[in-house]
Amino acid sequence: MTKTSTLRAAPGYAFLGIWTLFSLFPLYFMVVGSTNTSQDVLGSRLIPGGAFFENLAKLFKAQDVGSALFSSFFIAVGTTVLALIVCSIAGYGFEVYHSKGKDRVMAVILLAMMIPFAATMIPLFQVFAKLGLVNSLWAVIIPAISTPLLILLFRQSSRAFPSEILEAARMDGLNELSIFARIYVPTMRATFAAAGVITFMTAWNNFLWPRVILIKNEVQTMPMLISNLSAGYVTDYGVLMLAVLIASLPAMVVFLVLQRAFADGIVGAIK
Amino acid sequence: MKRTTKIAVSAIAMAMPVALVLSGCSSDGGDNGGGAGGDNTLTVWTWDPAFNIYAMQEAEKVYQKDNPDFTLEIVETPWDDLQTKLTTLAQSQELDELPDILLMQNNAFQKNLINYPDAFTDITDSGIDFSQFPQAVTDYSTLDGSHYGVPFDAGTAIGAYRTDVLAEAGYTIDDFTDITWSEFQTKAEDVLAKTGKPLLSGQAGSSDMIMMMLQSAGASLFDAEGNPTIADNSVLEKAIEVYTKLVKSGVFVEVNSWDEYISTFVNGSVGGLINGVWIVGSIQTADDQAGNWAVTNLPKLDGVSGATNYSANGGSSWVVTSNADVDLATDFLAKTFAGSTELYDTILPKAGAVANWIPAGDSDVYGQALDFFGGQAIFADVVAFGAEVPSNNTGVYYYEGRDAVSAAITKIIGGADLKSSLEEAQATVEFAMG
Repeated sequence: MTKTSTLRAAPGYAFLGIWTLFSLFPLYFMVVGSTNTSQDVLGSRLIPGGAFFENLAKLFKAQDVGSALFSSFFIAVGTTVLALIVCSIAGYGFEVYHSKGKDRVMAVILLAMMIPFAATMIPLFQVFAKLGLVNSLWAVIIPAISTPLLILLFRQSSRAFPSEILEAARMDGLNELSIFARIYVPTMRATFAAAGVITFMTAWNNFLWPRVILIKNEVQTMPMLISNLSAGYVTDYGVLMLAVLIASLPAMVVFLVLQRAFADGIVGAIK
Repeated sequence: MKRTTKIAVSAIAMAMPVALVLSGCSSDGGDNGGGAGGDNTLTVWTWDPAFNIYAMQEAEKVYQKDNPDFTLEIVETPWDDLQTKLTTLAQSQELDELPDILLMQNNAFQKNLINYPDAFTDITDSGIDFSQFPQAVTDYSTLDGSHYGVPFDAGTAIGAYRTDVLAEAGYTIDDFTDITWSEFQTKAEDVLAKTGKPLLSGQAGSSDMIMMMLQSAGASLFDAEGNPTIADNSVLEKAIEVYTKLVKSGVFVEVNSWDEYISTFVNGSVGGLINGVWIVGSIQTADDQAGNWAVTNLPKLDGVSGATNYSANGGSSWVVTSNADVDLATDFLAKTFAGSTELYDTILPKAGAVANWIPAGDSDVYGQALDFFGGQAIFADVVAFGAEVPSNNTGVYYYEGRDAVSAAITKIIGGADLKSSLEEAQATVEFAMG
């Protein structure tokens, strides 16, 4: 890079730098807040304090963090694995096989995206109550394993899947299940990563439905635990920040690990 | 062959979740709530570990003295979530998922009672003596003369001020006792000029202060039939006028969120507050201000007939649901929250839970001086205030009314015409009522 082009790029970098600071500030405040007392957090103290272990002790005394983490992990991992299986098969099927009605079916599936969850919550509750699944983590997983967004994502990505490979595989005698499992899945790794990140994060942060269907304390999830912490007349903001930090870490790790594949998957790249 | 495999793939996709469900990890659904009785256990939904959950745990201990086998299963459920759950269960008619007892915000009581009558049990003849609670409080949980709730914490409003800030401006707490809003305005402006500290703060877009002013004069947004009276409501107009003046003169600072509101007094950027007595828990988190707070009553509206220096904000009551072991639940409530001085003596000092049960006020515990409040026995004062609070007519559409008035206040402070903004709010509520 020449000196002039560096100079020309400087304002851009400065802008991005400032923007990055703005974006990272809430994260910084959360981390620092978890080491400060409630009064310090309210006073917007921006340097780390010495109350981390005190906050940790208070948090574990007030709430069953272990069981909430387990429930959240179980729901997030279960939803992600099942949603990837179901939606990838659906997206693949919609693109690769031909049938007269498939576009109409797809249109109906996409229409489902327009219905707000609040409108379906009451009938959904009736269904799960009849099935005896109130307080079951599966009641949170099942409604989330087939989503129009993921089916659409897999269908769109499958468009880039070369039909020549499909035909060659069929001529070589592979059956449809093997083509899907041995050729399609490895080829579409990036799409799986993107879909995995989206599903994991949505499932991890899911609040309204779990709050309604999971009634007992033992099956509460991390977002419900955070809601409990801020429900009282007196909120301990240091403890709250720590709980938010603990709840944010897994989603951050998943995103950072799959970041590159996520970006590729969203733009539909095939490697 | 191809077709068979296609079917196989679809079948696996469909069967997998079902198989996983059947393979377990489903806990015992259907046995969440109350029940027909016999097991000596009550399930309770409530939300604050330092306050009402603690009170329930202490009540369990009190009741266990005569009933050693009795247990409570307390499910921590924040109020907003509790309301969502209640709505979902009532609308889906899955009432057997309800607990035996739940805690209800007083302001939401009428709405829930009228909308979901199947969800609650009439406890008028259960042996609980409702005359031992202030009528203004039992009114929240009474419908057509029948009682549905046992009042728990008082939402009695207090004026709490920093005595050091007042002293700096040459005032004492007595100068802010039994005064009118116009006197408050003059003195608060003086305090602001001399100390640089506003005396009050609150969330912008919240109508809490207006509602407290309304109730202090026994007024409401609705008439006895539940029709909105937002337009042409002289008390409401007066309250908004007072509030607008407070904000515009800078003695009332509007902030954006509840957390910011708490931080205004914990950080000492304002010199006081007016709110329900439950706010004292938050005040006391400011260790460095110990000894510098005092509590008194509210200013009253000038020139309004029936105006008093007393009001309420918040407060809650225990409800026996329609899924409850009614005999056990009412006996438990009658012997604890509606009958045990011992219980209130325990929960007051530790949780600051001020009783609505009048006999509890005679206890010595209420007369204890608190160092944080400069040696003042604030709870005895608050119980005395509580007896003076006028009734509040909430009705089914209380929250819709509040929201509409909040929106109107924001417009009025922004310069819109008072009358037309309130007419608009009235129309909004009428539209919501259908």
